[in-house]
Amino acid sequence: MSEMSRLKFYCDEGRCIECDGCSIACAEAHELPAGINRRKVITLNEGKEGLEYSLSIACMHCNDAPCEQVCPVDCFYIREDGIVLHDKETCIGCAYCLYACPFGAPQFPREGAFGAKGAMDKCTMCAGGPLETNSEKERHIYGQNRISEGRVPVCAAMCSTKALLVGDAQEVSAIYRERVLARGHGVQTSPMTWSRAYGAK
Amino acid sequence: MKRKMIIIFLALTTAAFAADSAIYGEELITNILGYGKEGSLHLGQWFTVLQGKYFSIGFLVVALGIPAVFLIHYLIIGPKVFSHDRKKIPVFTIFHRVIHWIAGVSFLVLVPTGFIMVFGTTFGGGEFVRICKDLHALSTVLFCIAVVPMLIMWFKEMLPTMDDVKWMMILGGYLSKVKRPIPAGKFNAGQKMWFWVCTFGGILMILTGAVMFFQDFELAIIKSMGLTQIDFLRLSAIVHNILGMAVAALFFTHIYMSMFAIKGAIHSMITGDKEEEEIEILHSTYYKELKKQNKV
Repeated sequence: MSEMSRLKFYCDEGRCIECDGCSIACAEAHELPAGINRRKVITLNEGKEGLEYSLSIACMHCNDAPCEQVCPVDCFYIREDGIVLHDKETCIGCAYCLYACPFGAPQFPREGAFGAKGAMDKCTMCAGGPLETNSEKERHIYGQNRISEGRVPVCAAMCSTKALLVGDAQEVSAIYRERVLARGHGVQTSPMTWSRAYGAK
Repeated sequence: MKRKMIIIFLALTTAAFAADSAIYGEELITNILGYGKEGSLHLGQWFTVLQGKYFSIGFLVVALGIPAVFLIHYLIIGPKVFSHDRKKIPVFTIFHRVIHWIAGVSFLVLVPTGFIMVFGTTFGGGEFVRICKDLHALSTVLFCIAVVPMLIMWFKEMLPTMDDVKWMMILGGYLSKVKRPIPAGKFNAGQKMWFWVCTFGGILMILTGAVMFFQDFELAIIKSMGLTQIDFLRLSAIVHNILGMAVAALFFTHIYMSMFAIKGAIHSMITGDKEEEEIEILHSTYYKELKKQNKV
């Protein structure tokens, strides 16, 4: 258990086609209220030829999670596998985590008295929360707990171009490295079986 | 038909509003790219370090250190006791007192609930701290009502004078038991310090608090200063916390002075009258003025 892997997201900007499927899959899978987007797709350098690319972003589950450092009620906890989660029943909706977050991930539904901010909501990497795993209450408050069932987070699972990767940080980086090395090589100009069926020429 | 149009219009405008978020909208990209980069204000990191480490230490010093200093003062030097048999001099009108107590009641809620939020972990978070957060916001409304009239009604008497320098040099005479006339007008330098921190600092705290409460909005003036909304929120939180320490420290001092250090001083804010001897000693310049006007 000492060499526990750390789960990470990585979005391959060479593959993301800005279809927005990940954020919609996320919102649907977790039945998020309108106005809360745990995941969203952003486009950088929009309109600049050759420089424009899109990325899917959400909570990045940081190693040194600044949200966890500033929380006045200490409602954050980092799992052994690196997933950053928080206890919504302890959260007071002060939004300090949003101020600390470099990615603007924490969001706040207006549900408290006089339109005050309610408990924070963010990406859980489909790992639920501190409640009983896969209980009705956990699903209601935090959304699906797919990790506990060995399933891939819904955003990455449905990504049609497999731009959005999730998993053990080293494995994700190995896949990405392979992609980078393969880029521009091995492009098939004729079908695989052509030479076998009709000869080299 | 008309009704339908209105509903469609409302639906469209609210949707546009949601998409136009000043935090999660287009600014998000610049915020992510700019975080921690050279040329940025580094407010994200500043806030993380300050809130993560230093604010709670500062508030702990205020919450424990200041009462401890006063306890030592009370035990070693002791309170000032003035004769209650001499004339009573009216100093605070009914208007003064009403405004003072509106602010006073709001502070009695604001300060403890603020501390509960700072030490939220100690109080277990959750429903209790959440209610305190709501009370903190709600009692701000009371303070809003009081702060402007208070600023106006005492403005002139709170302007600094030469007496204040002399008062500061001897710390208002609170370090000795001897009853010597202390250089001060109607208000001494300590009260003035409290007044300015409470009014201007208080207004700044209302504004920074409101920024954090409403969170997602756009102000042209902020934008024109080159400050993004998220940096504005970070700056507000930093300012609110630092001012909070100053206000809380002076609030505890105010309570100690009125309730313990000067016996019976709090009655002047209830009846409006101060003891003649108290004015003669603690506000000697004011006493001389009253004498000139034959009011004593």
